[in-house]
Amino acid sequence: MKIGVFICHCGSNIAGTVDVAKVAEEVGKLPDVAYSTDTMYACSEPGQEGIIQAIKDHNLDGVVVASCTPRMHEPTFRRTVERAGLNRYMFEMANIREHVSWIGKDKESNTQKAVDLASIAVAKLTQDRPLIAKKFGVNKRVMVIGGGVAGIQAALDCADGGLEVVLVEKTATIGGKMAKLDKTFPTVDCSSCILGPKMVDVAQHPNITLYANAEVDSVKGYVGNFEVAVKKKATYVDWTACTGCGLCTEKCPSKKATDYFNEKIATTTAISIAFPQAIPKKASIDPEYCIKITKDKCGVCEKLCPTKAIRYDMQDETVIEPVGAIIAATGYDLFDYTRYGEYGGGRYPDVITSLQYERILSASGPMAGHIKRPSDGKEPKNVVFVQCVGSRDKSVDRPYCSGFCCMYTAKQAIQTKDHLPDSQTYVFYMDIRAPGKMYDEFTRRAMEEYGARYIRGRVAMIYPKGDKYIVRGADTLAGTQVEVEADLVVLAVGAEAAKGASNLAEKLRISYDKYGFYMESHVKLRPVETNTAGVFLAGSCQGPKDIPSSVAQGSAAASKVLGLFSKDELESDPQVASVDIKRCVGCGKCIETCPFGAIEETDFRGEPKANVIETVCQGCGVCTSTCPQGAIQLQHFTDNQILAEVNALCQQPLVTSFE
Amino acid sequence: MELLDQLKEKIKERLPELDVVIGWEQGFDPLHATPLFMRTEEDVDRLVFSPLCVHNLASHLTGLKGKKVGIVVKGCDSRSVVELLQEKLLVREDVTVFGLPCTGVVSLKKIKHALGGLDKVASAEFNGNELKVSAAGAARVLPLNEIAADKCGRCQYHNALLSDVFVGAPVEAAAEDNYADVEAFQAKSPQEQAAYWRDAMQRCLRCYACRNACPMCVCRDHCVAQSREPHWMTQQDTVQEKWFFQMIHALHLAGRCTECGECERACPVGIPLLLLKRKINKEIKELFDYQAGTKIDATPPLLSFKVEEENINERGW
Amino acid sequence: MSAAPGNELRIIGFLCNWCSYGGADTAGVGRMTQPTDLRIIRVPCSGRIDPLFVLKALVNGADGVLVSGCHPRDCHYAEGNFYARRRLEVLKRFLQVLGIDERRFEYTWVSASEGQRWQEVVQKFTERIHELGPAPKITPDQMAMAETMAAQPR
Repeated sequence: MKIGVFICHCGSNIAGTVDVAKVAEEVGKLPDVAYSTDTMYACSEPGQEGIIQAIKDHNLDGVVVASCTPRMHEPTFRRTVERAGLNRYMFEMANIREHVSWIGKDKESNTQKAVDLASIAVAKLTQDRPLIAKKFGVNKRVMVIGGGVAGIQAALDCADGGLEVVLVEKTATIGGKMAKLDKTFPTVDCSSCILGPKMVDVAQHPNITLYANAEVDSVKGYVGNFEVAVKKKATYVDWTACTGCGLCTEKCPSKKATDYFNEKIATTTAISIAFPQAIPKKASIDPEYCIKITKDKCGVCEKLCPTKAIRYDMQDETVIEPVGAIIAATGYDLFDYTRYGEYGGGRYPDVITSLQYERILSASGPMAGHIKRPSDGKEPKNVVFVQCVGSRDKSVDRPYCSGFCCMYTAKQAIQTKDHLPDSQTYVFYMDIRAPGKMYDEFTRRAMEEYGARYIRGRVAMIYPKGDKYIVRGADTLAGTQVEVEADLVVLAVGAEAAKGASNLAEKLRISYDKYGFYMESHVKLRPVETNTAGVFLAGSCQGPKDIPSSVAQGSAAASKVLGLFSKDELESDPQVASVDIKRCVGCGKCIETCPFGAIEETDFRGEPKANVIETVCQGCGVCTSTCPQGAIQLQHFTDNQILAEVNALCQQPLVTSFE
Repeated sequence: MELLDQLKEKIKERLPELDVVIGWEQGFDPLHATPLFMRTEEDVDRLVFSPLCVHNLASHLTGLKGKKVGIVVKGCDSRSVVELLQEKLLVREDVTVFGLPCTGVVSLKKIKHALGGLDKVASAEFNGNELKVSAAGAARVLPLNEIAADKCGRCQYHNALLSDVFVGAPVEAAAEDNYADVEAFQAKSPQEQAAYWRDAMQRCLRCYACRNACPMCVCRDHCVAQSREPHWMTQQDTVQEKWFFQMIHALHLAGRCTECGECERACPVGIPLLLLKRKINKEIKELFDYQAGTKIDATPPLLSFKVEEENINERGW
Repeated sequence: MSAAPGNELRIIGFLCNWCSYGGADTAGVGRMTQPTDLRIIRVPCSGRIDPLFVLKALVNGADGVLVSGCHPRDCHYAEGNFYARRRLEVLKRFLQVLGIDERRFEYTWVSASEGQRWQEVVQKFTERIHELGPAPKITPDQMAMAETMAAQPR
């Protein structure tokens, strides 16, 4: 075999701590290596041209590039060797940047390690075989999970692009967190005025099927051909009949039901519509509070309903939706601030979360837009905002910045002054993070025009005094302790991954970080892709995001799906399992262990044999390590290929019995 | 009626519908039994059964695939049949099992050791708990418990676990297996163990008798020890390669080995090969509460998993 | 931090592509310095790792073998690491009779985001292998001794 080896300098990234010329020289001594050189930037245009030229000049059968991680540039170089006429699988990569030059400072050790890594790549390449991708059809439907602003944007963009969209929302209405907001920064325009029309578009778009009050149960299949089971949770109201007239909610005698939409600052009726602009505008029953369901009495709504839509015996229902791609837009949830005992741990009625404050501010909220204390309904005079509650705090395992709290706090301070001109606002902050367009100007306005008093320091304690609260904290700029008397305290609670996010990630087979936020494929270059082909991310499920970023990501994810679906057929990865029919004894152990049901039993001249369904196989290789005969081999990761790598690293001098 | 006569009668009853029935007959001398393939009633008359019938005849089953086969099994042998059926390596309808109760078989190695050799054996007779052997003109009486195979001392399954025809009265006894042999070996230091295996593997001839005798080694011509695709081993006669082969054998039997001990019995240079498999069985019993070859519909532990494993503690890694 | 050149031991890592290899990349991107002994072989999934690869390496002179995959429940292929966990646990215990110190083999779970955890794992495992020292090799001297022993009547 004639192998070409290219050792990349990556500028000084690799060459700084690895003697690349020496690596090229050492690897060049290997028996199958016909050409070995170092190159400044293998991935640059001249770098790639150099590889192509060498393949032609030296009639190479395969290429090894020792540079950065194959998770980054393997596809790049595969295309390069393909341009030179080689099969793209006659290429191997050695990771001498992330795994060598960036983690070790000793040049001699690094150089030896780079030689070893390049040598195992060469060893593997000697066992590589050309592989040809097969094509398969694509189901050009997309599922969007989560009906917040990111999911709405993604759904609308996909639908406008001509795709059939299935939008799955966990709660009874789409709109997500944004629908709960009164105003948005930095324009202080009405949240429902800008979101509302988009929600209506979703409801009216002929290409969008909306499942509200539904959750993803299971996900099968692979890019182009997923099968998602969606559980439609019982609403006890036939939504095909319900017109959203609201008569039932007016007359329902059970008025103590938890009002999730209003962040529990009020109660609602057992049969309710979350809010006037809800999409779909349909009533649903909270079975926990419905008198008919719990005690078999009442039945008022059933009697009243003009369309006879009430169904007390409704059951959950599961529908299977075949789709070709999935966008996860599951958003975030608020940090549980009751973990902070020093802020009252939830015991003080007038210490509330920022989102509860939004509901108080909202004209359609339970207080109709008048700022009143939840405890006694009085107008507050002093309103204190505490930032970074559950953000940038290692003690509660939330070391990250939630990003948008500085901005909405400034907005809420401005709104407070607008609503109550006699009020005084105080903001305890750590740093002001306002790195967006018009953002810093906005926070300055809060201070300068609206007189918000910003105090730089953490709040140590909040405790009641009479019918007021004392907020005690540090003023680190003045170097003093401060105590502020407050009528109302608003905690700028940080964002964390939505409840159940990790559970959904496991179903989607995507990764999540230790906080439950979904992992993108590449932090910078592939921000809405995941490592699972056909699954994309939008919005805060990937990390806390404000509205503009969420909308941008929704559109970005949609464009990725539209790009994916621009082809009628996709190429399947040929790195799939393959059966050597001579070796197979038909025991079916591989069938038993395959996580995807990708192996079936077939009859070959009266003998049972395993057969791989190539489009279903995902290439994990569990079958290969299950089969004792080695009859089923994962292509490109065959036993021989891995053994070649092991052998390249472990070669003990031979000791025979004959010595 | 004697057990053997009953057995012969039953086999003769079923013989017309079977291509072959596998049992034992006397071998080249009175101490050695050898597998017997019965196709006619005359063949059946040669059948024997005694503690000398050491072979696990299940090793022949997969080679006779597609035929209607009868097989005579002791308790331990029956586990191999169960395991083969569980692994779908046999078709249930094609196998007729003649099950026997068994009180133990001998170890010819122990007899050889007691006699100082196995040459010129003129007769061998069992009398109660004794074996009377006359060899090279001298007669010796050997107590059975001194010459019984090690596996019989810890036998939990004296009676065939699976049989279409069961002959004789079931044996009531069942011993506990506390894996004392494994524990004892494990107590040695890694250095001592390594030296032990180095010595043992140096003796290994790479004859593959262990593999060929194993009822669960179903790869036959496609054993990875001799293939190039995949190429797990070279053909070099090194200690490492031979040792690695035993690791392959043991791991390929993980969760499958029924501890019939044929590998060890077949080894011409006396390497205690069953120890390796018993170590794995011990761990599989502890981890997954599983014993191979006891239930046809069991789920093999290494072909399944639990999301939360009760007994696997990843030691904080 | 890294062993002096020439003092390195042979440590082989089998890492799944999606989590642990990514975690090692994350550690690299974070410039998290690690000992240099480890050589990583990339496989798609920890479920692809036949325990025999580990033994092959250990028999043929590796001083340590480290396997790392996705955390249970977080496998890119849904179930691969569950199978791996069972097989690797059995393998680890098997070493107890093979005369190979079981501390020379470890398996662990590191996700793609856990660069720091990866650094700690490499650090800890490398230190352990250095404490154990080079794996005993089969030398011609030992072979000669074994042969003498084999020749003795038993």
